[in-house]
Amino acid sequence: MRRYENVPCGRSILCGALLMLILAAPCFAGAPTEDIKQTTDRILIVVSDPALKGPENEKKREKLVRQAVDERFDWEAMTKRSLARHWQKRTDSEKKEFITLFGKLLERTYMDKVGSYSGEKVIYTDESTDGKYATVTAKILTHSNTEVEVLYRLKDLNGDWRVYDISIEGVSMVNNYRKQFNSIIVRSSYNELVKKLKEKVAEKD
Amino acid sequence: MGNIHRLWFILILGVMCWGAGCGQRTGWAATVDSRTDLEEEADVLERNMAGHELVRMARLNEDAATAGAENHEAPSTAGKPSQNAEEAEAWPDDGYPEETLYPDPLEPMNRAFFAFNDAAYFWFFKPVAEGYSAVMPDVMRLSIRNFFTNLSMPIRLVSSLLQGKMKSVGIILVRFMVNTSAGFLGFQDVAKQALNYPVQDEDLGQVFAFYGIGPGFYLNLPFLGASSLRDTAGWVGGLYLNPLDYILEDWVPNLSTRAFNIVNNTSLRIGEYEALKDASLDPYVAMRDAYFQYRQNQIEK
Repeated sequence: MRRYENVPCGRSILCGALLMLILAAPCFAGAPTEDIKQTTDRILIVVSDPALKGPENEKKREKLVRQAVDERFDWEAMTKRSLARHWQKRTDSEKKEFITLFGKLLERTYMDKVGSYSGEKVIYTDESTDGKYATVTAKILTHSNTEVEVLYRLKDLNGDWRVYDISIEGVSMVNNYRKQFNSIIVRSSYNELVKKLKEKVAEKD
Repeated sequence: MGNIHRLWFILILGVMCWGAGCGQRTGWAATVDSRTDLEEEADVLERNMAGHELVRMARLNEDAATAGAENHEAPSTAGKPSQNAEEAEAWPDDGYPEETLYPDPLEPMNRAFFAFNDAAYFWFFKPVAEGYSAVMPDVMRLSIRNFFTNLSMPIRLVSSLLQGKMKSVGIILVRFMVNTSAGFLGFQDVAKQALNYPVQDEDLGQVFAFYGIGPGFYLNLPFLGASSLRDTAGWVGGLYLNPLDYILEDWVPNLSTRAFNIVNNTSLRIGEYEALKDASLDPYVAMRDAYFQYRQNQIEK
């Protein structure tokens, strides 16, 4: 501490601020990106951990990944947005049931994607925050040398950024499910949709 | 080259005529321009619905109409105005607009071709591609894809020019020169690796969209898969810009080269279609929506 005593206070603050700027500039280290990164890294550690390799560890691996995913993804918001105008007509128990089922399906889908992970690079390229909402853009470099653009949409839930939609190459998952749900409900019924969803979840287990 | 183009045109026209005929018979496709899209959609829906479905639709319409009123009543009934405001904000473009923007009047035909493509993939293309990738190393398959991508440069160049995207034009020209020379006729994508110039995804369908032409309606064509009226027209136009058709004029070598290209590409994308099918409750609707979203994203870029 003593060595810096001769440096005027204002200048040291300026230096500090400059240093911070320089360090912060290359990486968009905002809170939403940090949260996404933290979850993704946690999953990647589980997936690439040699101690957890092999089919005998599948259950353990799945549990750890599921924990990480559950903490970051807001299943209720996803369900709400996917059912859209059909959401308000549901009873509370129907809502609860649907969130669980849909969450399971999404979890499985996500898990399958993670399961096929083999060292692809993830680069966080952009972030924008607008009040309680934020988007984080990432690029995944695949082995066949193509870049896949992934956009996370997040919402601030009591200081915690939670994902409510993922777009891959401009295809929003929530929009896609909304079209499917709407099509099924309009053509047959909500019960039919639940039946189909149950079948889908069961076939994957 | 005249030969091969005539063949493509006959194929496409045949499919479209048949599709249109299909539509006429089932009463799907009769559209009158003077009416608004919304009326049209309602009409199409009505004609294809049984009585009980009509009742349900009427109820849905009512709900949509009263949705706004509900939001205002919320404070007195539910006592949670903030939550309602939030829900309203979550899907502002609720209901009709998207469906009328991307109509699918030939759905029965499209669904039939979707089933056909599904079978063709699982029974033919996938096994062939798997066998092919067992004998062809990854590096070779990637190089072959690079070669065909480099060869089809004129489509991207003309499309970028017509949209006035001068930066893309520059990138495309540099890419072509670098990859054709230093990249050994395009087998190596040096421009991407060394200069970080990625492939510019431009085609004539995007040019049409740039000049304000809508997608028309959804098409799912045998072997070609998801498309729209506009993008199919763009694809046909693109055939004139594909050097492959000028190099290989006879249809046997032309089609075999195309088939080879398709198998090669398929071998690099095994699992993508399976993933979509696996994650969706109605793969046909999922594919249709994904196609429109994907194209919209490309157009906006």
